Amino acid sequence: MERRPRVAGLALVTGGVATMLLVHWMVAFWVPTEASQGVVQRIFYVHVPAAWTTFLAFGIVALASAAYLWLEDERADAAAVAAAEGGLIFGAIMLISGPLWGRIAWGTYWTWEPRLTLTLLLWFTYLGYFLIRGSVADPRRGKRFAAVVAVIGSLNIPLIHVSVSWFRSLHPGPVVIKPEGPTLHPDMLATLLTSLAGFTLLFLGLFSFRYAVERLGRRSLPGGAAGPMED
Amino acid sequence: MTELRWIWLIARKDLLLELRSGGRLLSMIAFVVLAGFLFAFALDQSRVAGRDVVASLTWLTILFASTAGAGRIFDSEEEDGAFRHILLTPVSRGAVFLGKASANLVLIWLVAALSFTSLNTFMGVRSPGSLAAHAAVLLPGTIGLAATGTFFGRMSRHSALGDTLLPVLTFPLLVPLVYFGATASARVFLELPWTEISGLVRLLWAFALGSIAIGAFLFRHVTDE
Repeated sequence: MERRPRVAGLALVTGGVATMLLVHWMVAFWVPTEASQGVVQRIFYVHVPAAWTTFLAFGIVALASAAYLWLEDERADAAAVAAAEGGLIFGAIMLISGPLWGRIAWGTYWTWEPRLTLTLLLWFTYLGYFLIRGSVADPRRGKRFAAVVAVIGSLNIPLIHVSVSWFRSLHPGPVVIKPEGPTLHPDMLATLLTSLAGFTLLFLGLFSFRYAVERLGRRSLPGGAAGPMED
Repeated sequence: MTELRWIWLIARKDLLLELRSGGRLLSMIAFVVLAGFLFAFALDQSRVAGRDVVASLTWLTILFASTAGAGRIFDSEEEDGAFRHILLTPVSRGAVFLGKASANLVLIWLVAALSFTSLNTFMGVRSPGSLAAHAAVLLPGTIGLAATGTFFGRMSRHSALGDTLLPVLTFPLLVPLVYFGATASARVFLELPWTEISGLVRLLWAFALGSIAIGAFLFRHVTDE
């Protein structure tokens, strides 16, 4: 692995892990307990950052996939596959933590309301991304098919964002990005923002490592599975 | 030659091939009738009224039959390399997609008509509501199914997972279509006024037109021979 991405990845992962340790302390000992939901509301500090990281990852997959379809640049495909893996992992955290919170807050693990349904469908779409990628004999064709799936799947992302406002929904609306400003308690907001930073750093670190490994793997393939713009 | 003429020629060729061989259409028809038969036995009709579930069963049957058929859209041309020859003609990939999707749509219409008739018969539904309203709901829904199936059918043709991959790729995208379609059809069965159905039909048209546009635009990326 090249030195520069390795150092950058290591710095990001170290920063992410350190921030996550701080978040655990804040969630356990510092942030006030929410009055109506009680202690279970603390899942919020895992669920929301996991959701943010998932959409960041799938956004990167969509942009990198569109770039790959346009330019056939292997770096774009390597970035897409690295981000897609992160998106699936953080998406799984979001989809597990949400029902655990919902069981107490709504009285049920799952409800077919728009945001939950669309998010689950988005996760399955990116599962299909890996299935089509790995099951096509010609690697170049597999990459292009996967990129098409990613671009089509990404059309779901803005729909998920606006679904809380467009449809009647059990899912809570925005509490931070609002025209009148955040409506969270300042300590809760600080914890949430710290957790957002921790999740983002951790994802970017893992993404850097995975991207570097992906590039290294392609260079070491006999005959080169790389595309025309591989450097 | 205009694009419309190309689309017509490709669709006509596909339909002629299908009528002469009949394999795909026959298997889709057999699937629809047998699925209706099984649904009738699987539901306890002394407790569940056929009219309450027939809309959902119709949509699911059409979805499964069209997905099974979509995996075979490119088979006949692929085996003797004819599809490569079509791509070598000066016709745009978008027109090829629209031609193939149009032929697929005609087969899905046949499947939809048969599915509707057989399920109503097997479930003992005596007053299914306005047939024109059912057609108005099924038309955009089947267009969406045909476009999506044709597009992803091309991908699954090259996959080692074959037909098992097609549902994984298409079902997450088709959930809104099935939801809007089944809800609208259920309201037609209940003979609700058109004002309570038209919003869902507009959403179905939006899905259908969106899937046609996206399919035609991206089809060149899944036909790289």
